[in-house]
Amino acid sequence: MVPDYLTIAEAARLIESRELSPVELLDSRLDRIARLDDRLHSFILVTADAARAVARTAESEIMAGRSRGPLHGIPIGLKDIYETAGVATTGHSRVMQDHVPAADAFSVKKLRAAGAVIVGKLATHEFALGGPSFDLPWPPARNPWDVSRFTGGSSSGTGAAVAAGLVLGGTGSDTGGSIRGPAAYCGLAGIKPTYGLVSRAGILPLAFSLDHAGPLAWTAEDCAVVLQAMAGHDPTDPASADRRVPDYVAGLAGDVKGLRIGWVRHFYERDNPADIATGAAIGAAALTFEEMGCSLREVSLSPLAEWAACGMIIMLAEAYTIHEAELRRRFTDYGEMFRDRMALGALVTAADYVQALRRRRELIDELDRAMTDLDVLLTASAASEAPPIDSVGKFSTFERPSLTIPFNVTGCPAISLCCGFTDGGLPLSLQLVGKRFADATVLRLAHAYEQATPWRRRRPVVTL
Amino acid sequence: MTRAELDTALVRLGLAVPEAERNDIAAATQLLEAMIARLRPPGGRNVSAEPAHVVRFSEG
Repeated sequence: MVPDYLTIAEAARLIESRELSPVELLDSRLDRIARLDDRLHSFILVTADAARAVARTAESEIMAGRSRGPLHGIPIGLKDIYETAGVATTGHSRVMQDHVPAADAFSVKKLRAAGAVIVGKLATHEFALGGPSFDLPWPPARNPWDVSRFTGGSSSGTGAAVAAGLVLGGTGSDTGGSIRGPAAYCGLAGIKPTYGLVSRAGILPLAFSLDHAGPLAWTAEDCAVVLQAMAGHDPTDPASADRRVPDYVAGLAGDVKGLRIGWVRHFYERDNPADIATGAAIGAAALTFEEMGCSLREVSLSPLAEWAACGMIIMLAEAYTIHEAELRRRFTDYGEMFRDRMALGALVTAADYVQALRRRRELIDELDRAMTDLDVLLTASAASEAPPIDSVGKFSTFERPSLTIPFNVTGCPAISLCCGFTDGGLPLSLQLVGKRFADATVLRLAHAYEQATPWRRRRPVVTL
Repeated sequence: MTRAELDTALVRLGLAVPEAERNDIAAATQLLEAMIARLRPPGGRNVSAEPAHVVRFSEG
């Protein structure tokens, strides 16, 4: 009997010791999808036959002593903006529901090469922006902790599927917080890596200069495993960094004692006030970091609204540029939430966009200066528990400044972690941010925090 | 932006926004305008202030 919940690291150990076969593991996930996903709507498409073929190959290779590493034989899901050869990649949109790519995205090729078993394509907000929407060909994903709640977005299906144990990990994309938001609301670890670390080639774009691809998983350790497979130079992505990828998994074992943490409290205490439970949970986490031997000091940055204005104007302008022709041709084929947000993007002028880019340079310089004698920043990744899914307004992302978008503006690595639960049993979250290309430091501190706290022992009970 | 200004802009942009959605968008332009205003510092910016993205060509 395969447990309902396993981390990637746990499953990899069982597979390596031949106590669990990739085929058994996949079948247990497919059974779970069949039982639970009618409630969660996390999958747009389950590719069971193809996954079984890959799992059987993985089993043969592992039995023959040809293990490819900790992702070999592990069932994962792909946000449905990652292109997959011969398999529809829709962006969760009517506009692309018949789009069948000829080739895999670069990062998908790398995941397959690492031996991952791709179970299917996961729900997203339409083109990673418009959601939760109820007027698209597929319903929005639901939060496994409470199906009346929002998953966060836009990597909504990945958040739901990983939290419910339908897959052990998955891919997301993050333009303003679309990995970290679902990680926060669904109680997961989700890292937006440094800009340029993971290729964007073959991933449907939202905003070229802010788009980051990365993993969501149950733990920071699992994120390290998946990121290891995804990261690496891709000459076809003009933003791809041509530099050596560190060993993120090995790096988890390093000491965190002496790490210098800057605590950006005003982001969630004044600029976008978090609820009492979130503030208390982050405060408790700060004490834990001190007990682990880290030093903490408060850091003040420009108000969150400055970062959000810069990021949102860039996002709207770049996204509208991508969809301009189709929006003019068939506006109402898009969902209402996406198309009306894009109508705002159409009103951004060229001067507005360039002013946002100038502001971006100032903000990048500001953060770099603030982090000169720091290793990591601590702040919130969400201001509250997951709200009811039907309470999310069409323009809600513009009403309160995002806690996550500052680090899309700067390209810094940022991870959302679970740091407790509300009295009602919903996850709470925090955010750790590193210097560009110091993803290993962020993962190491996140892993140490998870080891020092009990939050990874609690899993959702999905009610049927 | 008023509803009339929005209607004019949408004609220029060539976007066939349904009538039922136009008031929502017109109201949301206040949020957009507030963000845009934040991008321009009081007194303006140094004329030489570069954007974050400039093209740097490799040599050779």
